[in-house]
Amino acid sequence: MKFHVNRDVFSEAVSFAVKLLPQRTTQPILSGVLLEASGGALTLSSFDYEVSSRTEIAAEVDEDGTALVSGRLLAEIASRLPNAPVEFSTDEGRIVVSCGSAKFTLLSMPVEEYPTLPQVEDRTGVIPAEEFAAAVSQVAVAASRDDVTPVITGVQLEVGDNKLSLIATDRYRVAVREIDWDSGAASAEGTAALIPARTLSEVGKTFAGSGTVAVSIVRSDDRELIAFSADKRTVTSLLIKGNFPPVKRLFPDDVENYAVVNTADLIEATRRVSLVLEREAALRFSFSIDGVTLEAAGSEQAQASETIEAHLHGEDTVVSLKPSFLLDGLGAVHSEFVRMSFTKTDNPNKPGPVLITSQSSKDQPGADDYKYLLQPNLLLR
Amino acid sequence: MDYAGRLSAHLPLATRLLVLKGDGSVLVHSDSLSYKPLNWMSPPATFAIEEVDEERASAGVIELWRVTHTKTADLLVISIHEILHDSSHELGVDPGLQKDGVEADLQRLLAEQIELLGDGFALVRREYMTAIGPVDILARDASGASVAVEIKRRGDIDGVEQLTRYLELMNRDPLLAPVTGVFAAQEIKPQARTLAEDRGIRCVVLDYDAMRGLESGHARLF
Repeated sequence: MKFHVNRDVFSEAVSFAVKLLPQRTTQPILSGVLLEASGGALTLSSFDYEVSSRTEIAAEVDEDGTALVSGRLLAEIASRLPNAPVEFSTDEGRIVVSCGSAKFTLLSMPVEEYPTLPQVEDRTGVIPAEEFAAAVSQVAVAASRDDVTPVITGVQLEVGDNKLSLIATDRYRVAVREIDWDSGAASAEGTAALIPARTLSEVGKTFAGSGTVAVSIVRSDDRELIAFSADKRTVTSLLIKGNFPPVKRLFPDDVENYAVVNTADLIEATRRVSLVLEREAALRFSFSIDGVTLEAAGSEQAQASETIEAHLHGEDTVVSLKPSFLLDGLGAVHSEFVRMSFTKTDNPNKPGPVLITSQSSKDQPGADDYKYLLQPNLLLR
Repeated sequence: MDYAGRLSAHLPLATRLLVLKGDGSVLVHSDSLSYKPLNWMSPPATFAIEEVDEERASAGVIELWRVTHTKTADLLVISIHEILHDSSHELGVDPGLQKDGVEADLQRLLAEQIELLGDGFALVRREYMTAIGPVDILARDASGASVAVEIKRRGDIDGVEQLTRYLELMNRDPLLAPVTGVFAAQEIKPQARTLAEDRGIRCVVLDYDAMRGLESGHARLF
């Protein structure tokens, strides 16, 4: 095997291929990145039976061949190479990387033992990349990080009528957003896939600048996986098994009682007042015609309160919220103002959930349909 | 009370709780400081009740205790003016501190809520005996296959090794085999998880509070 590649193109491709490699693996061979040079192109791939990444870049191939080398080491080398064309060649089980005056010799791992990457051919639909990246970042904050219930550590994708819903929850809150979805001629309505939130977040960031991303959801007998591809890059991931809870029905249809607040002001005030809170304690928000007052009961040593402007529609409302949960929602609305809607409830022991949506001005709802539903705590006094 | 030896100390006359333990130690407690005594003599020590001389007797002393450390010759002298209460109790053999109370409780709870391992799971029995010790739980999955469950508070490499040994042994039993393993813990270390999964053992993280019906600090939507 012998080929020449552009340094920047190569470095970017390697960092893409190794990004989703597992932190620790019991099979060292899976920590490698597979290089395949043939016919004017170099393919780089990684696979750990759960997640695979594959990309193809242009290369000047003198001699076809394949090689398997340590992924992280290659990524570190690639990112520090001098600014010159990179030449790869194999020499008796070793791989020689030369770039300008620098030269590296790497040990090659046995290619024959490397597993075959899943091949996904049928495309289920196409999504706009930028919108997808934004939606993933908005929704994934609500996914559970606790392994107790594996099904809610994922983000649920549900295909609707020309729309794709992204849903995540950790039981305390639910985040949902819809983006455009184009299934082409065939309808994929009703298809769903549950993907580990960490993997989906990386996928969102990776493809953010790609224009459109093709999505394939494969459900065969023994394997369920999803593939995302754009710009000659493909990421596949096994799906999480199990049924995602039917959380969409938790959202209220129409709420008349709501307040509109400047998002940045509310974030600042929440952070400030929370300083005196004990860990895990909740913050009390009193909405009235005069604005919203944030109160932290804190400890005996310190208390805090602050009042900021808020435009209340409907009756005065008091809610008790965990600051970090509220901040996650406020950070994800991506709009200048935020609408906090207060659901009515008949249960005296469980306050109605608070719905957070975007608002582009005091009176104008936001452009996207992002929804973040948060369960307040019972008021203690 | 006077202490002499490596340090000198004096405690003025007051109402005290004096504890004399079977190991020879003497502890002087007040109505504060929790478990900490105001002063004490560690074992080995010799205890003696001395004659009260006239001078002390006229000062109101009714009993004089002298506690001497056998090795350092440190001396604790206690002058008793009044005895409000005096009793002696035999505590018998100490069963030791049980630190695995949570583990036992987790085992009981998981046996009761065996469906936490998956739909269709059924309990065979707790503490299933093998030649090398008891397996925490033996269950059957939906298809009727045996599942051995090892329960830990903190899931470490050691626990995975322990379960691996049980599985190896149980898989030799034609009535049980094939037996798969489940490593269940409140918290599983990444290394233990990697090792378990590499050996085909499923990891399950248990929420102790939810299992015993305790609400967490924050309200849930569902």
